[in-house]
Amino acid sequence: MLFLEALAFIVDPANLLGEKGILPRLVDHLLYTGLSLGVALLIGIPVGLIIGHTGKGKNLVIALTGSFRALPTFGLLLFIILFTGLGLWPLVFVLAVLAIPPIIAGAYSGLDSVNRETIDSARAIGMTEWQILGKVEIPLALPLILGGIRSATLQIIATATIAGYVGLTGLGRFLIEGLAYHDYTIAFAGAILVAALALAADGLLALVQKLVVPPGVSRGSARTTHRSRWNFRPAVSTGTHITGG
Amino acid sequence: MPQHMKRRIIAGIAALGLTASLAACASGDPLGGNGSADLGSLTIGSQGFAESDILAQLYGQALAAKGYKIDYAPSIGSRETFIPALQDGSIDLIPDYAGNLLYGADPKATATSTVDVMAALPAVLEPLGLVVSDAAQAEDSDALVVTKEFAAANKLESIGDLKPIAKDITIGANTEFEGRSYGRSGLEKIYGVTGWKFKAIDDYGGPGTLSDLLKGNIQVADIYTTTPSIKQNDLVVLKDPLNMIAAQNVVPLFNKDSYSVAIANVVNQVSNRLTTAELMDLNEISAGDSKPSPEKVAKDWLTKMGLL
Amino acid sequence: MQWLWENRDLVFGLSLEHVRLSVIPIIGGFIACIPLGWLANRFRMTRAIQLTIFGILFTIPSLALFVTLPSVLGTKILNPINVVVALTIYAIAIMVRGAADAFASVPRDVIESANAVGFSSASRFWTVEFPLAGPVLLANLRVVSVTTVSLLSVGALVGNGALGYLFINGYQRDFPTEIMIGIVFTLVIAVVFDQILVLIGRILMPWARRPRRSPRALMVRGAA
Repeated sequence: MLFLEALAFIVDPANLLGEKGILPRLVDHLLYTGLSLGVALLIGIPVGLIIGHTGKGKNLVIALTGSFRALPTFGLLLFIILFTGLGLWPLVFVLAVLAIPPIIAGAYSGLDSVNRETIDSARAIGMTEWQILGKVEIPLALPLILGGIRSATLQIIATATIAGYVGLTGLGRFLIEGLAYHDYTIAFAGAILVAALALAADGLLALVQKLVVPPGVSRGSARTTHRSRWNFRPAVSTGTHITGG
Repeated sequence: MPQHMKRRIIAGIAALGLTASLAACASGDPLGGNGSADLGSLTIGSQGFAESDILAQLYGQALAAKGYKIDYAPSIGSRETFIPALQDGSIDLIPDYAGNLLYGADPKATATSTVDVMAALPAVLEPLGLVVSDAAQAEDSDALVVTKEFAAANKLESIGDLKPIAKDITIGANTEFEGRSYGRSGLEKIYGVTGWKFKAIDDYGGPGTLSDLLKGNIQVADIYTTTPSIKQNDLVVLKDPLNMIAAQNVVPLFNKDSYSVAIANVVNQVSNRLTTAELMDLNEISAGDSKPSPEKVAKDWLTKMGLL
Repeated sequence: MQWLWENRDLVFGLSLEHVRLSVIPIIGGFIACIPLGWLANRFRMTRAIQLTIFGILFTIPSLALFVTLPSVLGTKILNPINVVVALTIYAIAIMVRGAADAFASVPRDVIESANAVGFSSASRFWTVEFPLAGPVLLANLRVVSVTTVSLLSVGALVGNGALGYLFINGYQRDFPTEIMIGIVFTLVIAVVFDQILVLIGRILMPWARRPRRSPRALMVRGAA
């Protein structure tokens, strides 16, 4: 059976190390994911927080992030490469573009979900805007902010497989090799590895979510936390959001 | 390519060939039920680079002019994918290159000249359920290419000259290059070039490969001999005195069940007029400023040749 | 621009193909999700199982599905069915969660009133629950639509990418314009689909046109 053959390929120690081994490719895949996520966070979180806190530019950003989502990553990557040549940064750029919308949406809708009265009370007891943001809004918004980051991470991990097509490596190489040699076993093994990595990353982020979200918050929004366990595409909640806004 | 992988692929191709011929027996595909005058329909594939798209259009338009109904399936990919696609009837015809076709089907083949390769092909293709019509004079072969500066600095003229520097070079090519007869095994056995690093760049010697070569990220690139960028960038094609890369004449490859003498006659008219110089012209037009579609490039050429 | 004009037949043909190949997964995903979402909302167990299965399916890269599906389905390599099935799986994976949320968003008291006035459970579903879940279903469907249209182009690597062909062809010919045209047309199709969905929503659900709840309230519901 193909699935078993693919598993056999994965557990075969001969396929672990070396130029085409699973381990070096996994490391590269993590590198691409980490860099892209880092860039996306650096841009997405501040933008999302500013919009969420001030409520300004909301419609523009919703429209922009919506159309970003329709951008075909594959085409964008090839387009950029024609100007820059092959390399790591074009990939990081397009993966960041892919990841920014869910991050902004998570941060923004997180702040937006904080009860107005809570914020007004904070203001009434003399908190500065920064204090309100840092001590009230962000902690309360954490479940949704992290939900956005989780979805972004999963999308990056899956999409980073196109690195294998443009002179880089990563787990996508198994897919491209499977395609080039018409070898379903290798392609299947690649699919399993990427899915396993995504599930592991999601589990890890779920753990982080549990650890950093203040107890009061996670209890208060128990439903949210429960749902976002399976929040593979909070894009969905953002979609809901688009209609709302 | 590791031995076990090769074996698996061959077994896979053989198995697919068997199922395809069984399936072909079962389906009698009744054509022309609508009473139209067309002679039948053909789906023509292409390999995923511009030249192949143009060649597919050359055959297709010539056949369409004779009354066949033609569909195109562009950008299928490597030989490892389009051979099964031919066998399962997804496509009926695809432009291929004689030497690569031979060595893909029979890794133990020894033929290198056009005549020998073409003579060896039918017997190898027969059990796969495939057949070729006449080869064109036009050749477009894989070539190991270096920059002029790199060639001068390392006194490179032929592939064998890479031997002393093999451990310090990276060769850039499509993924499947490594497993081909002129890949790892051929370079080692025929020229003793071994220990090089491989960078897979899946653009068939296109702009990514070229920019990496010019930047020095790779030192040797696999670029096809008819590619305009070789001339444009003064690249040096390393000679192949031991004929590691067999003659690569353009050859129309058919599913046996789709082949007929009438169809072959039409396709042969195209092949007969196609020289290497013409093929390079076609590629230059396609890569030229107006970037015409493969369809237009082919149409203009066929018109010029009086084949439409 | 001139290239677009000279190659209008090619671009138009590919656009049509793009529409054809993405419509089926969008509609198929929607239809499949109605029973799945309803089941998931009804029974806790099925919800967990469904969300797990589709959650895992969603983590498989589209390219991997495109490449491996022929071996699973026994289809021909170049059959567009492979791409259509892969995208339908994604559509369901995205929709199923949202559909469960949509049915969960129907207020309990409304369902109980419907029971009280004697609706059978089937007619209650079609006349009460389904329409009330409509706005949230639609919102999810819009995400599915955009994602499907954009993901399809990766299929070009397996010979079935519709407009994605322009990406590969433009890349190999070192011709950014061709890629840009592919991107723009993909975006146009995504926007047109989105507007059509919005329009359908307005016609079928006139009550949802102006959200009575403030956007904030809907947001919280949608996210919660």
